[in-house]
Amino acid sequence: MLFWVIAAILTLGASLAVLLPLTGGGKGASSSNDHDLEVYRDQLAELERDASRGLIQPAEAEEARAEIARRVLRLGDVGQANTCQVDVPGTRQPSRATRLVATSAVLLVPLLSWGLYSQLGSPDLPSQPLAERLAKNPADSSVDELVARAEAHLAANPSDGRGWDVLAPIYLRLQRFSDAVTAYRNAIRLDGDTAAREAGLGEAIANAAGGIVSADAQSAFEQALKLDPANQKAAFYLAMALAQEGRLAEATAAWQKMLGLLPPDSPWRGAVQQALAEAANRSVASGEPAKGPDAAAVDAASSMAPQDRQAMIDTMVAGLDEKLRQNPRDTEGWMRLIRSYVVLGKADQAREALHRGIAVFGADSEEAKKFTAFAASLGLTATE
Amino acid sequence: MVETGHFALVLAFALSLVQTLVPLIGARTGNQRLMAVGGPVTVTGFALTALSFAALAGAYASSDFSVASVWENSHSLQPLIYKITGTWGNHEGSMLLWVLILTFFGALVAVFGSNLPATLRANVLAVQGAIGATFFLFILATSNPFIRLNPAPIEGRDLNPVLQDLGLAIHPPLLYLGYVGFSICFSFSVAALIEGRIDASWARWVRPWTLVAWMFLTGGIAMGSYWAYYELGWGGFWFWDPVENASFMPWLAGTALLHSAIVMEKRSALKIWTLLLAILTFSLSLLGTFLVRSGVLTSVHAFATDPTRGIFILCILTLFIGGSLALFALRASRLTAGGLFHPISREGALVLNNLFLTTATATVLVGTLYPLAVEALSAGKISVGAPFFNLTFGPLMVPLLVVVPFGPLLAWKRGDLYAVAQRLMAAFAAALLAMLVTGLFIDGASVFAALGVGLAFWLVCGALTDLAVKSGFGNVSPATMLRRFAGLPRSVFGTALAHLGLGLTTLGIVGTLCFGTEKILSMHAGESVELSGHTLRFEGLYPAQGPNYSEDRGRFSLIGADGGIAAEITSAKRFFPVRQTTTTESGIETIGFSQLYLSLGDEGTDGSVVVRLWWKPLVTLIWGGALVMMAGAAMSLFDRRLRVGAPSRRRKPTAAMPSAGLP
Amino acid sequence: MTRKQKRLSVIIGGLAFLGAATGLTFYALGQKASYFYMPADLTSASLEPGQRIRLGGLVEKGTVVRGQGATVAFSVTDTHKSVKVTYTGILPDLFREEQGVITEGAFGSDGVFVADSVLAKHDERYMPKEVADGLKAKGVWQESKSE
Repeated sequence: MLFWVIAAILTLGASLAVLLPLTGGGKGASSSNDHDLEVYRDQLAELERDASRGLIQPAEAEEARAEIARRVLRLGDVGQANTCQVDVPGTRQPSRATRLVATSAVLLVPLLSWGLYSQLGSPDLPSQPLAERLAKNPADSSVDELVARAEAHLAANPSDGRGWDVLAPIYLRLQRFSDAVTAYRNAIRLDGDTAAREAGLGEAIANAAGGIVSADAQSAFEQALKLDPANQKAAFYLAMALAQEGRLAEATAAWQKMLGLLPPDSPWRGAVQQALAEAANRSVASGEPAKGPDAAAVDAASSMAPQDRQAMIDTMVAGLDEKLRQNPRDTEGWMRLIRSYVVLGKADQAREALHRGIAVFGADSEEAKKFTAFAASLGLTATE
Repeated sequence: MVETGHFALVLAFALSLVQTLVPLIGARTGNQRLMAVGGPVTVTGFALTALSFAALAGAYASSDFSVASVWENSHSLQPLIYKITGTWGNHEGSMLLWVLILTFFGALVAVFGSNLPATLRANVLAVQGAIGATFFLFILATSNPFIRLNPAPIEGRDLNPVLQDLGLAIHPPLLYLGYVGFSICFSFSVAALIEGRIDASWARWVRPWTLVAWMFLTGGIAMGSYWAYYELGWGGFWFWDPVENASFMPWLAGTALLHSAIVMEKRSALKIWTLLLAILTFSLSLLGTFLVRSGVLTSVHAFATDPTRGIFILCILTLFIGGSLALFALRASRLTAGGLFHPISREGALVLNNLFLTTATATVLVGTLYPLAVEALSAGKISVGAPFFNLTFGPLMVPLLVVVPFGPLLAWKRGDLYAVAQRLMAAFAAALLAMLVTGLFIDGASVFAALGVGLAFWLVCGALTDLAVKSGFGNVSPATMLRRFAGLPRSVFGTALAHLGLGLTTLGIVGTLCFGTEKILSMHAGESVELSGHTLRFEGLYPAQGPNYSEDRGRFSLIGADGGIAAEITSAKRFFPVRQTTTTESGIETIGFSQLYLSLGDEGTDGSVVVRLWWKPLVTLIWGGALVMMAGAAMSLFDRRLRVGAPSRRRKPTAAMPSAGLP
Repeated sequence: MTRKQKRLSVIIGGLAFLGAATGLTFYALGQKASYFYMPADLTSASLEPGQRIRLGGLVEKGTVVRGQGATVAFSVTDTHKSVKVTYTGILPDLFREEQGVITEGAFGSDGVFVADSVLAKHDERYMPKEVADGLKAKGVWQESKSE
């Protein structure tokens, strides 16, 4: 409400700035020649000052004086020739055109500003200074705000290991992976390493790298297993690392062993089964090493309930498929789609996507060759 | 509050349209009331823009991440001062600053221009309004700083450590004050073209504005150069980088304008040329904005890159540069030419100055745009760097610097070169002496170095000679001389100071380039190194903690002549964990006008550290000279004659007004 | 000299000056402009020995070797070909493996590129434009990968 009052006052002020001069009486204006004459007079005065100070020679001063005088004379000539053009203000009744200009100018200000602002502005959104938001009751705060509060606390007390330990898994869930890496590292540095922290660190590193279990991540997982041989996360990811290196048989064995040890209600059961299915598909489809599973699948496996995971991946792939139908000239997109289908074990659909992609760019195009080569590298051929 | 700022911005845009159209129509039809609208509307427009800017600055200061621009360019951990300066550290905010300065200058014309001829004032405000309207539209359409996010993120994204620096915070506003200051000269020129006549008060108004713009631009460029020098850690003060060139071109053209405006004011000569130069100078300022903002050119500074913005700015450029030049082509013939002069005269010297400066501007322009042209013709990608500019710009500048001391001593209309040369004998002798001393007594001085030092002394002594001659040195008694010296018009001091500053900057450049030394080596703690007679001992690396970074400080001791520690120099590698970024803080020790500059490199496996050391003789004079130039401009601004502007009609004719002057 | 002759000589002098300046500018452009290459372009380009060029690409992973003193050797790659570069001096703070870089210098007789300046990208979002264009043309780099 306050905003609208201020806006109205501002508009009123701006309109008045246009309106008042239009209604005021015209001041007695002077012709340009009068102004010029004033300038020349001043120039003469200045010349005299310079001459009396000895800054210029008397002869020079005389010459300059004559020149200014000539300008003044010329001014008289031009002035007479131009008299018809010099306006006679204030005496004329404003013409209709003038009134039209004046009226539209006065109207333009409120109409344009309110019209444009209604398109651009967000009048209902109040200002949200950070300090004010953080001072609110914690119960009303969003997760983000709670995290910010924790961050502020840790920025002030960076050696609070427990704080980092609490924050790290939250970062992981919020998909802020590099922050999670920092938090886990800090927690380990300050409070020593536990299997959970090391495994979390490995997971954060892997996710930050888009799902690839790098050497860093691997060593973290190994450390976790050393501390707690039953750590399921570490076991799962180490198997994943094997799969990504193309050692599918070993990975499958590891996952199968893990499946045997898992309690029946473990949340890892679904993820492991899914991974096993993928591995089986891949070894059937290609028999040769392929790139790692889609990053999205890894993300999903780590941060979602297993039953939701499959649905989410399917939705994402379907979305990509749909996007490519609408916007087909996207080389990267096609390659991503083909890979997604291969990773999901849907060889038919992968093949169909490959054909569609080739059709978009033409069979002889650079892109078509690239697609074929790419598909081949995933163990997929254009024909059955 | 944020939305109030947004609304004020929209309202200011609407007012700028009124400001463009109504006074213009008024001036065409000779309607006094319509013309009178210009003043109040301009002032109100400025007030609204200021409100809008204050709202944005408030959002930045309070980390209101519901504003998209704040979220993208700020972070809650930044110190408050950098939160505030962050307002213009990004594209959207800096454009708002641009129009804020534009409307501010417009308001100054509106407030202090009551003694201008009414039609001239109306036209000037209209052109000013047109520039404002296009930039408001540009901001609202492509770079609106008030776009909101709902729900608001809890933390901002940017904490670029390189930009957290006071020098960089002051640099853009200074630069913009310069760029935008030239818009007033531009508006006056276009107004004169619209009217088809140049009023006598024209030059009196344009000159101070040129001085103001030039002064700020000088400061902005010097600040930017100094920032790059100490912050980037490369020890260079000028890189001929496209962004630097973008600010340097308006400066060169503005310097030419400054000089031709003198001729115009004093002799009513060079009118048409001055008009053209004013248009070109502002065009180059716009081009500068375009080059930086569109990201067309690769540069170490380039940030905002967005094709729609580029196209929009290209339209603005075409509109203003093309439009004003077309108007110039149509109307220039209607303007009357001014007084005549002999080639050897003050006017002649100033024409020579203009010839050299505009040619130098053209070479910089060619060097900056040539890579673009080559790329557009898809003939490959090239870069034009320092070697090109050294080869073209240098030869143009040296003769110009040689003739600088002659200019102020020559008489108007017809000068006596021989007499002036005689007066400059002392300066010449001093320069020769400096040259000989340099050549004979300083080790490793090349012929170029000696000539350069000589040139710098020539400029400095020439400027002093100017003051001495004008106070009547040698012709009158010392007492009279002192009295006359005190009574010299401020603009005479201004000229002398500016030329003196130029000499100092030249000396700094020559000193740094010709006598500077550098060493790169890897050092262990406790090792010492000698550079140009200074002994430095590396004391070791020490970790330290800053407010939002941790750093490794390399401590160095400068060993004095007695073997004790004369000074401590620290260079640091700072690590900013939030952005996982490292920066290098160079260590600088100023000794006289010279500096020892050192910067830390990578740590070796054996505990050694790569260190790069420079000895930069007289380097501070480069920026000191620029400060002296600014002081000169400020001095000229306070000259009584310029303060008067156009004389008010209320003023009584002074006693000095001679009847003999009006035959 | 009559007034007319004087005037003419001033105009001729001015034109001669402008002509000389133009000539100098174009001579300098021919001599001093340095072309930008990606490693794979070098095979097709005929370079005179010692000609200054700008070489851009990504710093190849695992190739950065810090030699004795302040000399650093690394390879610049566009993933198709790579070129060995040596540089003496302090690398920019943003110099990292697998990040964009532009080096300026000339090839030595042994085929190693001797750089006298190394520019790394300015911040996380910014890739040197030439490098980005070049990599895009080669299908290696795609936009908005960083965030």
